[in-house]
Amino acid sequence: MKIKFGKKLLFSLKKVIIVITVMVTVIGLSASAFRTNNDGETVTREKLDKIDSVASLAAFEKVYKVLMSPRCMNCHPAGDIPLQGDDSHIHTMSPMRGKDGKGVYAMKCSNCHQPSNSPGLRTPPGNPKWGLPPADMKMVFEGKSARELALQIMDYKQNGHKNKAKLIEHARDTLVKAGWNMGEGRKPPPLAYKDFVEAWDEWINNGGIAPKN
Amino acid sequence: MEQSKSTQSRRSFLKSSLLAGGGLMISFAWLPGVGLADTSKDVDPAEQWNELNGYIKISSDNIIRIFNPNPEFGQNVMTSLPMIIAEELEADWEKIVVEMGPHDNIKLGPQFTGGSNSVRMYWKPLREAGAAARHMLIQAAAQTWNVPMEEVTTKAGMLYHAKSGKSGTYGSFASKASGIPIPQGIKLKDVKNLNVVRNSKKNVEGSKIVSGKPLFGLDYKQEGMLIAMIQHPPAFGMKLQSFDASQALQMPGIKDVFTLELYEDGFEQGGFDTRTFNDLLVIVGNTTWKVMNARKKLIVQWEAAGDTKDTMGGRGAKREVIVPGELESTSTQFEKMQEYAKKPAQQLRKDGDPETAFKNAAQIIERTYNAPFLAHNCMEPMNFFAHVTDEKALLAGPLQAPGWTEPTLSKILKLPADKIEIQMTRMGGGFGRRAYGHYLSEAALISKKVKAPIKLIYTREDDMTYGIYRPMYTATYRAALDANKNLIAFHVKGGGIPEHAIHANRFPAGAVDNYLAEGWQIPSNITIGAFRAPRSNFNAAAEQSFLDELAEIMGKDPIDFRLELLKRAKENPVGKNNEYDPDRYAGILKLVKQKSGWGKPENKNRNRGVAAYFCHNSYAAHVVDMVMKNGHPFVESVYSAIDCGIVINPDAATNMVEGAVIDGIGNTLFGRLSHKDGVPEQNNFHSYRMIRHSEAPNKIEVHFVQNDIDPTGLGEPPFPPVFGAVANALYKTTNRRYYNQPFFEQALQSTNKPKIRRSIQ
Amino acid sequence: MLKLNINKKNYELNIDPDTPLLWVLRDVIGLVGTKYGCGVAQCGACVVHLNGEAVRSCVTKVSRAAGQQVVTIEGLSVNNDHPLQKAWLELDVSQCGYCQAGQIMSAAVLLNENKNPTDKDINNAMEGNICRCGTYLRIHQAIHLAAEIQRKGSK
Repeated sequence: MKIKFGKKLLFSLKKVIIVITVMVTVIGLSASAFRTNNDGETVTREKLDKIDSVASLAAFEKVYKVLMSPRCMNCHPAGDIPLQGDDSHIHTMSPMRGKDGKGVYAMKCSNCHQPSNSPGLRTPPGNPKWGLPPADMKMVFEGKSARELALQIMDYKQNGHKNKAKLIEHARDTLVKAGWNMGEGRKPPPLAYKDFVEAWDEWINNGGIAPKN
Repeated sequence: MEQSKSTQSRRSFLKSSLLAGGGLMISFAWLPGVGLADTSKDVDPAEQWNELNGYIKISSDNIIRIFNPNPEFGQNVMTSLPMIIAEELEADWEKIVVEMGPHDNIKLGPQFTGGSNSVRMYWKPLREAGAAARHMLIQAAAQTWNVPMEEVTTKAGMLYHAKSGKSGTYGSFASKASGIPIPQGIKLKDVKNLNVVRNSKKNVEGSKIVSGKPLFGLDYKQEGMLIAMIQHPPAFGMKLQSFDASQALQMPGIKDVFTLELYEDGFEQGGFDTRTFNDLLVIVGNTTWKVMNARKKLIVQWEAAGDTKDTMGGRGAKREVIVPGELESTSTQFEKMQEYAKKPAQQLRKDGDPETAFKNAAQIIERTYNAPFLAHNCMEPMNFFAHVTDEKALLAGPLQAPGWTEPTLSKILKLPADKIEIQMTRMGGGFGRRAYGHYLSEAALISKKVKAPIKLIYTREDDMTYGIYRPMYTATYRAALDANKNLIAFHVKGGGIPEHAIHANRFPAGAVDNYLAEGWQIPSNITIGAFRAPRSNFNAAAEQSFLDELAEIMGKDPIDFRLELLKRAKENPVGKNNEYDPDRYAGILKLVKQKSGWGKPENKNRNRGVAAYFCHNSYAAHVVDMVMKNGHPFVESVYSAIDCGIVINPDAATNMVEGAVIDGIGNTLFGRLSHKDGVPEQNNFHSYRMIRHSEAPNKIEVHFVQNDIDPTGLGEPPFPPVFGAVANALYKTTNRRYYNQPFFEQALQSTNKPKIRRSIQ
Repeated sequence: MLKLNINKKNYELNIDPDTPLLWVLRDVIGLVGTKYGCGVAQCGACVVHLNGEAVRSCVTKVSRAAGQQVVTIEGLSVNNDHPLQKAWLELDVSQCGYCQAGQIMSAAVLLNENKNPTDKDINNAMEGNICRCGTYLRIHQAIHLAAEIQRKGSK
């Protein structure tokens, strides 16, 4: 990867300064976001150049609301059993995560969750990839503060080894997208999918800043 | 069936009498109207079946067919009742073929499964039937061999004459025996010599169950059979106003959509003719899925039904009952109960002078207990096959009491009883629910209307929201103690929607000098029905929790306290009509105390609860050990002591007690059917929580009192005291008393953890 | 035309591909061992094996099973001699029996994947199968026994 200094850099120095002041409080995150990137990518000035931490934080506020909504959080539980319903109760019949997040024995997710939604009220919603994050990368949302969640998502060691590109891509994942189409009677996340993706991109493209708390 | 089957003749067959406590006592004579085999019927192409009586047919190649009279719903009567016959018949159990008998109250007795009565009411008749058939075989052999009957012996399906060395199978004499008139008054075996009964036998349908053979009503099929479903109103207190079926009728496979009236105005309902909705919106098609799908396209307008009128017959005189039209909610029902609880109530029993005793008491302890409606939730939803023509009706499916529904069918179909055949399939659970045959009547009317064989199927949602629930109950218990903490008076005032649960003549009645029992009820449009140990299942919870709390306040061990009261009830009983036998009651408490190591130092740290109860003529006690596991209450082990007299099939009986314990734990912790504006708030297992694998105890140790008392009930008696034992163990576990079922969520709150997750490991 | 392989037998059906496998088995093919209990994947009475997995046939569209291997309780063994069936009979597990086919089919997947399951494994595998009669304890014992039969048989 080449390092380039362009005109833009000088032009946006002021912004960088502002960003740095904001970042004082979130230095832990920015450090991890930019430096734990161990897939060979080097942090570039060009990247720094794009950061708008105010925009990032504002975007994450939206992202957080979505991620903590039942449609997302229910499959990112604190324990090894998914949550269920708009009230995020423990999933009936306590299906276990299993190593790969796809359940165990006779209780694999896909035994009930079909490739597509089952018709009718309170039938299992469906997706070919239905599952929880795997046991070695649990990506817990439940109970996380906005700061904790942002730090976790941006942490390569905790986010399923996703770099920025992979993270951006994750919002386009069909299973993530399925959160907005979960069958009859289930409340969608508080933001339209399109707006979520926009906020997600904005948050990450501006440095994936974690809020203060 | 060749016999006349008029309702009258059947009724005369059943001798029903109400016991003082309200239990239905049924006895009958088993002897069929004819003693000769009817060779025109039941001829198997391969062999000749010789009928010795309604229960027994024997082929010439020595296969013994035993007809089980009573419908099977998991209590294992398909095995235990034939065991009783085989015992006296001296048949080789391994060579017996058991079949479900036809519905024939003349040949096969009352054929009613419920009230823990199957074994109890059939014990003597089936022994007599077996002994009589054996006698006939002996007589046939004696005649053939030309030897005195006294010299002929039997063993394992064989006849022997020792002196001459002659022997033969039952089969070889069956034809001759079937021509001999059925003898009466044959001496039965001494119970000390039982060798089939009291020895565990495997479920005769076990293999069919584990290989998925068609056994259940839902599995029943006939050529050309259509599937029918009923769209019932979404709420109690609503009725059909109008509907538009045009879209539904365009769906593939749909034959018809129409309305039907179940009972005509003024129809005199018997005690088990309960029905929740009378105007039925029916959809008929050729497969289950097509009908399920098309139902969604029905556009239906419902309206408030307002107050309606039921004409009740059955016990007592014909009378009209107003069913209130209100759309009820659990919260308002609860308020109403609190209001009614303050009003004067009907006195059910009074001993001594309770008013004065309470006035003079040094201390009064008062506690109120509440319990919600419960749905039976049989795993096999209600369903029935019907093929009704102008001449006759064939019905097949899961039903607990065909003899109760047949007269109803006869009236609504306008067919004589002998033109109605009801075949009893194995039932996927019953628990009282299938004593109410409305779904069978509905199926019959639908078949008559569409002029085709049909099967009516309730979806799980239809089943759970239809009603026939365990009632909603409350009871306030009061105890008066003197200055020395002696119990001087006891008062129970119970109420319910729409009936109270009080059994006034049961323990501790008879053990307290001053005693008062009262009851009240609030009418409702939410229909109720018998639910495994009706009324007892609430009493045992409330009373046994109260006695536990009382013992604690009095500074007594809860078992010792009960034993003291029982001693009093035995030595110097108070009042009359005490239903229970204090010795047998004390016996189960002593047995459970011993088997659980109650009070032993090694069990000091256990969170233990005990409860005991008498119902359906049997006695049951449980000790429950509870722990908090992953932040939620978990019953680790249970010790059960049961006195139901002679145990027919010990392993199956043990299984039934284990099941009752698990059922009890589940209903105590989770069971609840609530309403909002008449709409049931639970309609499937996502919202109606059933106990599951991980919530069942690790160990249930079942002990039967060994005695030679004629068998009494077992299906129900172990169930009610589970509620009390769980409540009392929960108190030990969480240091808090529980008064409002179900307890699970409250127990979580008492652990002071903000959000407890189930089963996190 | 939909091609199905059920208990090693081939079927060709002209049927709405959205029909749940449960109703195809019960109403069309006539295999009624697989039970209807809830219709919303809550009770487990309808469990069958789809390529060895314990799917709930009440919510599995028949199209998902097309060209795949379906095994129902009727096809679990030839002579009722699957270790689980033997164990179920040995311990006389059933009461009403309605849920037991589903219980056995779920347990079969557990035993396929875990030759010596602990009680915790059994809970994790079986929590989706409701038994209203409360035979859970015996089911646990029977699964342990079946595992033993299976281990002995494979030696």
